[in-house]
Amino acid sequence: MMRRAFAANLLGAVLLALLFGCSAVSKTPSVPPKHPEELPTGRVNCLECHENVSTGALKPYGTFRHSRVFINAHGAYARQGQSLCSSCHAPAFCQTCHAGKEELKPNVKMGDRPDRMAPHRGDYLVAHRIDGRLDPGSCFRCHGNKNDVKCKQCHK
Amino acid sequence: MGRPTTVGSPGKRLLPAIVSISLFLPLLFSGTAPAADVTFSSKTYGLFYQRELAGGVKDRYAPLYEYLSADAANLGGKPLSFHFYGWGRADLAEESGSGRTSGEIGSLYMEYLHPQGNAQAKLGRFFLTEGVAMDTIDGAFAKATSPVGLGVSLYGGVPVEYTILNGAEEGDSLYGGRVFFVKAGFTELGASYLKENGSPGRLDRELYGGDLWVRVASGVELTGQASYNRTAREMASERYAVRIVPGAAVDISAGYEAYTYEGLFRSALNPAFVFPTVDNNDQVRTIFGIVDWEFIPGWTLEVAGKNIRHDKSDPGDANRGEVGLRYSYNAKKDVAGIVAAFVAADRDENEYREYRAFATHSPDKLRLTLDAIAQQYKREPIAGIGKKNAYQVVASAGYQLLAALQLSGDLTYTQSPIFEKDYAGLVRLSYDLGTGTGGKK
Repeated sequence: MMRRAFAANLLGAVLLALLFGCSAVSKTPSVPPKHPEELPTGRVNCLECHENVSTGALKPYGTFRHSRVFINAHGAYARQGQSLCSSCHAPAFCQTCHAGKEELKPNVKMGDRPDRMAPHRGDYLVAHRIDGRLDPGSCFRCHGNKNDVKCKQCHK
Repeated sequence: MGRPTTVGSPGKRLLPAIVSISLFLPLLFSGTAPAADVTFSSKTYGLFYQRELAGGVKDRYAPLYEYLSADAANLGGKPLSFHFYGWGRADLAEESGSGRTSGEIGSLYMEYLHPQGNAQAKLGRFFLTEGVAMDTIDGAFAKATSPVGLGVSLYGGVPVEYTILNGAEEGDSLYGGRVFFVKAGFTELGASYLKENGSPGRLDRELYGGDLWVRVASGVELTGQASYNRTAREMASERYAVRIVPGAAVDISAGYEAYTYEGLFRSALNPAFVFPTVDNNDQVRTIFGIVDWEFIPGWTLEVAGKNIRHDKSDPGDANRGEVGLRYSYNAKKDVAGIVAAFVAADRDENEYREYRAFATHSPDKLRLTLDAIAQQYKREPIAGIGKKNAYQVVASAGYQLLAALQLSGDLTYTQSPIFEKDYAGLVRLSYDLGTGTGGKK
């Protein structure tokens, strides 16, 4: 039963891929796979160099100014496409936080970057009891299905 | 409902094949390797920490971590790229995690990026965010947009998950897709579907999603994401926000977010998200607002507020507020900042205040940083331990030995209700090599 479903899905994917062959693809230039110039350190403001609408996400560059607002909502933009993100960020960048069974907290890995919004600063083992009670949805994004066995020491 | 766990799914059996294919595909282009644009990064972290737990027990740990990532683009002069990311750990003293060694391959895949229309395809292990999906999978992904702006994306494979929930296993297969309409600079609307199955019944996941981005006026945009959990037969999550970006210096956002525990956590593989840790009949509704204002070049004020309401009186409702000031200098290489935050809640045990200050100093090849954080809890957070305050100081010093090689070290001191004294040291060796021009972060 499951094999049949898998085969049907695979077949559907192939058919759709053929349907959306090269001739049916938009002629808009794709976002380059790599940002053509070296990027400065710190929070990026695309508006310093770019105007109008990005070729990758087809949204204004102002949308991607790396402000506190954008950082909080970056997932919403990434869920509409990762191509613009990956022009400046290597895939490993996302997985600094969104990893499978990560053991090192992001703020430990980036101890020399206190300017970054790395979660879990301080002895978060204590604070997470409160944050987790009040807004567990924010924990779930990274810890729901991608876990560290350290969680199990208390959550049995 | 559940299936016999002895029956392996085709997806699981495909895994070794997918990984093998991904590993050897770059060899096809080895003849044209000089044309490839290669970046390689190695980060080695040597940690040492000693913990004195309440009761006087001292433990010493010395885990050694190695993180590797490699990206090769323009393979064979074609829009093909190869990506790898993984890490490993070996303990040099007491066991610091699950066993004396650990590690994982985070991503390992080939990608084709069509020169037009952002059409792309991926094969291997990769982190995917597409509509309702935010998963790492061993499988394939394809996406294309037609000339009229209608597009479709499809993906399928085996989810890369790790369960620590007794009696629950990882999913055997995951597939889904998204159809969308995009008009450049004006709107993007999407509808998505995700199905994960092959696990015992309660872990089956079937989600329908919708996403929206609309620019209603210059500098004003609306965003929305909603997902419906068909297995739980209720909304899993919703988030709607208005964002105002009047120029390069001001960014304001306000919105509403809600989720139900049953809808969002139903497929959780971590006991922290299931009964009895949480009451699965609860739901959260949040109103939030954020302001980011660079009022003078280099000086940024950040203000954020959140009202969190629960259906259940335990944990009850709460308000969280935060004010921060950042100053960037030395051509943005350095930043100093202060942050004050508070949580005011219905229940005393959920209230705390937090203060943080940090600064960096990067003269020439040297980099020095200091980061201090303090938390004050209204009630003792650990029953039986009278301490209500916690603080941590992290001091870091680094030196750029070569253009591609940096050595740095951190010293951390923590005092908290859990740790009487916690000293930690870290040595970090970063090697970043890249060919070609341009930059990735």
